[in-house]
Amino acid sequence: MNNGIGSCTLAVVAALLVHTPSSAHGPLFSPAPETIFKDGTEIKLGFHFEKATGGGKQEREVESFVEVEYGLTADWQIGIELPYVWKEDGGENAHGPGDVTLATKVQFWQRDLPGAQYKAAAFLKVKLPTGDDGRRPRLGSGSTDAIAGLATGYESRRWYWFASGVYRANTEGAGNLEKGDRQNLSLVGGVRPVLSGYTEPDIVVMLELNWERADRDRLDGVRVGDSGGWELFASPVLWWTHRQYAVRAGVQIPVGRSLNGNQAATDYRARLELIYHF
Amino acid sequence: MLRAAIIAVTLGLASATAFAGAHQYRIVVDGLACPFCAYGIEKKLNATKGVKAIEIDIDAGAVTVTMAAGGALSEAQARQIVKDSGFTLRSFQALPGPPGKAGN
Repeated sequence: MNNGIGSCTLAVVAALLVHTPSSAHGPLFSPAPETIFKDGTEIKLGFHFEKATGGGKQEREVESFVEVEYGLTADWQIGIELPYVWKEDGGENAHGPGDVTLATKVQFWQRDLPGAQYKAAAFLKVKLPTGDDGRRPRLGSGSTDAIAGLATGYESRRWYWFASGVYRANTEGAGNLEKGDRQNLSLVGGVRPVLSGYTEPDIVVMLELNWERADRDRLDGVRVGDSGGWELFASPVLWWTHRQYAVRAGVQIPVGRSLNGNQAATDYRARLELIYHF
Repeated sequence: MLRAAIIAVTLGLASATAFAGAHQYRIVVDGLACPFCAYGIEKKLNATKGVKAIEIDIDAGAVTVTMAAGGALSEAQARQIVKDSGFTLRSFQALPGPPGKAGN
């Protein structure tokens, strides 16, 4: 893996990634209102790839993670995310555990109809500074950050839609760097092309529109000029599920942006998740 | 009067026998849209004492539960199982049949 990324410069991209609490039953790059059934457990193995270019440099990052969610009730779940990251920056490379995240989600509204559901949920995550921020490049941000948001959606035998908003509050971390707070808004539409039976493989295709905005970073309390701004992504996503197993994959393609100063802009992101619930 | 009493007792016994012999139940569920999500219902019903087999019809939003001989499922139980699975019970119907045989 050390040579797989190639010779490239890597910014602290991981700190910018908002791993929103997705579920197998929802969008891939934005949160869903779904919670797992009471006493259910969902285990997710995920891979995230990102490439950015600009400001005279090219940045790449590969991150894998294991996420476990448990249903305390049908409307309330808790979870934990354990990332493992590989980073390379100017010839320096490091790999190891990243920052652990604790999460909870509460579904506060639900309306069930024959073959369809409307739902809404609120969620909260706390990212802990467990990654080694003394390595070069850093594997963790050295900061404790909070992520909160709302998600709502509709799912039926044929059609899906979701909408969500997320706010991430970053605190000062290693090297006196405070990443700018982030805001995310997403709209998602989806369709099940073939109405499959309960024991048959099932496929759903989705298209997400993800808008991400970041405040400027602060270094030693001073705003960093080449930071912050917004990007808009169009993100096709594919779900495949069969009984207790699910595979989700998608890419984020930038379709608009306004970034401050001279900084790397996202070329693309890709994500793959393997999910099992029981 | 004796004839009426005999008829009444006979009808009462027949009714009791029909319910006691209920071998299958049909549970109609609101919110059942995707197979992956419906697994919660299967898991909880399989963990219920007396449940022998489950058949889920996603398009109809219906779950047919077959009980082992002598087993029974109450509407309250079914309602709680469906709720804990993340859905809403629309209707619950016992499908009468002779003990030990599948109901139609």
